[in-house]
Amino acid sequence: MRKWLFSVLWLLGIVLSAVPASATEIDLDTIPSDSLRRLRRYEQRMKRMEERWHKLIPSYGKWQFAGNMGLISLGTGWSYGKNKQWETDFFVGFLPKFKSDAAKVTLTLKQNFMPWKWHLNEKFFIEPLACGLYINTVLHNDFWVRQPDRYPKGYYWFSTRIRTNIYLGQRITLKIPQHKRFFAKSITAFYEISTCDYYILSHIGNSGYPLHELISLSFGVKLQFFD
Amino acid sequence: MSINHLCRSIAVMASLCLMASCDLIDFHPYDVHITGDTDINARNVSRIEEACKDKQQIKVAAIGDTHRWYDELRYFVDAVNERNDIDFVIHDGDISEYGYTQEFLWTRDYLNELKVPYVALIGNHDCLGTGRDAFGAVFGATNYAFIAGRVKFVCLNTNALEYDYSEPIPDFKFITSHVTDRAGEFDCTVGVMHARPTDDVFNNNVAEVFHQYMLQLPQLMCCINGHGHSIHHADLMGDGFIYHQTASIDDRVYLLFTFNNDGTYSYEEVAF
Repeated sequence: MRKWLFSVLWLLGIVLSAVPASATEIDLDTIPSDSLRRLRRYEQRMKRMEERWHKLIPSYGKWQFAGNMGLISLGTGWSYGKNKQWETDFFVGFLPKFKSDAAKVTLTLKQNFMPWKWHLNEKFFIEPLACGLYINTVLHNDFWVRQPDRYPKGYYWFSTRIRTNIYLGQRITLKIPQHKRFFAKSITAFYEISTCDYYILSHIGNSGYPLHELISLSFGVKLQFFD
Repeated sequence: MSINHLCRSIAVMASLCLMASCDLIDFHPYDVHITGDTDINARNVSRIEEACKDKQQIKVAAIGDTHRWYDELRYFVDAVNERNDIDFVIHDGDISEYGYTQEFLWTRDYLNELKVPYVALIGNHDCLGTGRDAFGAVFGATNYAFIAGRVKFVCLNTNALEYDYSEPIPDFKFITSHVTDRAGEFDCTVGVMHARPTDDVFNNNVAEVFHQYMLQLPQLMCCINGHGHSIHHADLMGDGFIYHQTASIDDRVYLLFTFNNDGTYSYEEVAF
């Protein structure tokens, strides 16, 4: 696990150092001293490096209720794109025991796309459509990605551990005025209508199947810390 | 749009959501969050025992492997409800396809539409993920027995491969205990299971041993099983004793057994 983490960080370092920096280049010929020139170069390099690392700091925190990823999920992530229309979330969810043998922890990776922003006034804006895809996994020994070796080949073709979900939703955001900011620069409330691969598969070929069994409703809140 | 307008529309939306939320809020497919009826088998067993107490002849409809064929399951329920000669229904396992909680509740809700009582057995698909817990909560124990008329039905969990030696499957102790349990109340026996000996999920090292143990049960008439997805009446051990295999529900045919208190029985295949 630790080895894997190191190699991911290492790869990330390579990718980041290849990204061109936005800082403007200074004409080094106008600087007389060699050592000063070297210092400037060093400073610029450091500045670029810092900027790149800064991009790794998550820009918001999220809380989500339900949605086939646990009772409550807490997450963080990054917003990016020209109008911050893209978001990638990472959630840790809590699933109570209910009638099973143990409470469970789930992990979710979620990709969001909000194509439009409607500014209502100084304070509020609406994202009339949020859509995306999320992949959820349960941390529990009774679930597998691929069937265990004891089964004949191809016995269970599906994974009990990995669930793929898609959703459509809407959001409303309150921009917190600068002088009132304490923790976040904006706060967003959202709801989502989602479905998961299992629900679609169970639905196929069954005409008398009510729609409410196919879809799920979830709610959430996002606190934007940085842009 | 003014803020007032907005607040009002949000309030309307929120109340609509709340009204619909009971059905729409899902925590996880495998959450074992059970709503509605639980402990079905125990309750239906007492209904069966009560209704069949003085009967000379018991008529039982056997199905299995309903998986995610909910339309066909509904047609079956309608077909049984149109008759008035059936005493009860046996579902011999594979209630679900993926073992996720809602599948057990859907199948339960469809079968609850039956006018006659029913019992369900655990199939190999019902063991996946948290399926075992969901089966336990909704239907009950995986090994159980009951008496209808003078016939004892011994229902067994035979999905050995799913348990990987964590529990004794099949449970020989349970079988032996039913040779003498409630001895005065029955004269003959029927075995019911999801996978039969020689099936891929059965512990085939004990296939013949299992058969011998079953034969100890007083006047064992036959066994009923599922898992094979097609009707098959098999003399598995070459001794003339028959394992009757039900079809998967999408074949739209069920087995109708008539068990007599004197230890004789007959069966027919009924298309629906």
